[in-house]
Amino acid sequence: MNNLAPSYQTRVQKRTIILAFLFFLWFLVLTLRLIELQVIEHRRLHEAVTRQSQYERSIVPERGAIYDRHGQILARSLPAPAVCLIPGDDDLPAELFARAERLKNIVNLSEKDLQKIKSRIESKENYIYIKRKIGWDQAERISRLNLKNIYVQRENRRFYPLNSLAAHVLGGVNVDGEGQSGVELQYNARLEGVKGLSLILRDANKRRYDWEILKEPESGQDLVLTLDETIQYIAERELEKAVREHEASWGTVLISHPASGEILAMATCPTYDPNDYPPSPFELARNRAIQENFEPGSMFKIVTAAAAREAGAVGFNEHFDCSEGKIRVAGWTISDHKKMGILTFSEVIIHSSNVGTIKVGQRVGQDNLYRMIQDFRFGQKTGLDLPGEENGIFHPLPEWSRTSIAAHSIGYEISVTGAQILQAMNIIANRGVLIPFRIARTSLDPTGFSPGPADAGVRIISERTASELTSRVFEGVVTDGTGQAAQVDGFSVAGKTGTARRLDPELGVYLASRHLASFVGFVPADRPVLSMVVVLDEPKYSLQYGGQVAAPVFREIARRVLLYLRQTPQFDPNTKTVTAQLRSQERP
Amino acid sequence: MVRRKLDRKEITAAAGCILLAVATLTFYIWHQAAVIQIGFQTGRLEEKMAALKEDIKKLEMNRAALLAPERVDRIAREELRLVEPQPEQIIYEDINPTDDYE
Repeated sequence: MNNLAPSYQTRVQKRTIILAFLFFLWFLVLTLRLIELQVIEHRRLHEAVTRQSQYERSIVPERGAIYDRHGQILARSLPAPAVCLIPGDDDLPAELFARAERLKNIVNLSEKDLQKIKSRIESKENYIYIKRKIGWDQAERISRLNLKNIYVQRENRRFYPLNSLAAHVLGGVNVDGEGQSGVELQYNARLEGVKGLSLILRDANKRRYDWEILKEPESGQDLVLTLDETIQYIAERELEKAVREHEASWGTVLISHPASGEILAMATCPTYDPNDYPPSPFELARNRAIQENFEPGSMFKIVTAAAAREAGAVGFNEHFDCSEGKIRVAGWTISDHKKMGILTFSEVIIHSSNVGTIKVGQRVGQDNLYRMIQDFRFGQKTGLDLPGEENGIFHPLPEWSRTSIAAHSIGYEISVTGAQILQAMNIIANRGVLIPFRIARTSLDPTGFSPGPADAGVRIISERTASELTSRVFEGVVTDGTGQAAQVDGFSVAGKTGTARRLDPELGVYLASRHLASFVGFVPADRPVLSMVVVLDEPKYSLQYGGQVAAPVFREIARRVLLYLRQTPQFDPNTKTVTAQLRSQERP
Repeated sequence: MVRRKLDRKEITAAAGCILLAVATLTFYIWHQAAVIQIGFQTGRLEEKMAALKEDIKKLEMNRAALLAPERVDRIAREELRLVEPQPEQIIYEDINPTDDYE
């Protein structure tokens, strides 16, 4: 035993040493491997595991609401579910597509939608939308199916509760809730808020098991417009009626409060429903009040008349011979719609004589007329806070030809927008002061109209010129002249009609059969509550003049809006001849 | 080695310390549980509040849609058979019809 004991002890010791050495070796290998994984390969592996186990998704904040001036909701975002597919590593594309296909009837997927989903599955995208902005009942049905890889997410959807009302002002948003046109685009930064960030955690099979918010989204700010829901409705209804009745290609109405420059209504016909943005055809989204250039025709005589009076070129009593009914300028013959005899300066504008106005324009002279057109801000944007406003077309003086004075005097060779012509009329309504337009307010207006900022006005013409033109010319247009259809019972109206021949772009000639009928005016003439421009393009049938087509639209809208605004008539509405007699007494 | 006998005072002090520690721990656990419980309640109430706010928004939208001028106009004309007043049917309170403006 004594001989065996040391050898046994030695063996045990040996084995212990070997075992310890093996353990040490195993530990060393492990340590080296750990060093390799944790130190040498750390960055690459960390990136790989992060990519595999988590990904970030932005959280779209709730978009701010849009209200009219009295707080009526015009646009608001509400939560709406979206159904999406998050593929795992072990899922076969065919299986994933089969799961998506099961939702075909629930969320009404077209073949085109399915093809799109299929191609996105095949290209191994991490996150695939099957359908966005679905109903809560559809989301409930999908959740009940409990399909692998299919998730219902919560998003926001833009709703316009008044459907097509004020569509061209509101514009629209895309599927991601980003403004695409109108105030939705103009004030997108303010409305959209700040996006948040969420972290989605996945297991080794890329199955989502948890998520956390890294950054809370900040909701967008609300926006109050100067529009009045009721006035907007009146304008749209009357415009739509007129466009339908006259089978016009399009029409637009723009109504403002002259003293503040606030836009009360902006309508374009045909229109669209911003709930289904973008409209089809996209042409429907065009805001004709600010995005359509047209030759204004006789409406532009307000500028010629203002230039004549400001330059002291003509007196109200001066007579112009319009008896021939036509005038020849540099080889071109321009005619009146009828022979009018000898007219005073006021009557030239009241009866819209082209011959008389050209003679007035020639008296004004090229420089004065050009300067006045510039002062009235034609050829530049009005600055209305809406995207896509046109400048109009106003040629610089060196490009004027021998016919330019005559053409500009009667509203040709120059293109304007409805907003520009209303701005010009507002200068007359504001007694010579230009107040810039605006469509967004800082707060709600539960009572009435707030005046514009004190320093916002710029004097363009003298107060005397504007007052005299109103009382001696533009009121006369409505009482005795071409705009008689714009008379509103109980109120004095000042305005100007326009009938412009449309230019055929291919032939390069003005067509006698295609017109643009318009009327611009304000009411009451002495203390304007509203100013309005009505434009109808290519009215069909026998009625094509602005006084026949656009002036009645002005009258109907003005009558209803004044009633809505509780404006007391200036005189007994049943005594319709009062204004005409008073004016004729005033006229020299 | 001879173990020293602990006197009553020391035992009482030790027991007091243990009791205090247990009480503190119990209070701490109770406090934590209460805080968590209140947190859950707050969370539930916040969720409820958010849901109610959402409901209010939906109801406001429904109200706006129901009061849309186009809808009101259609109901007034087609269902209630209302017609617009003729100019002579409108009475203005602030105007004297006998005034001679001529």
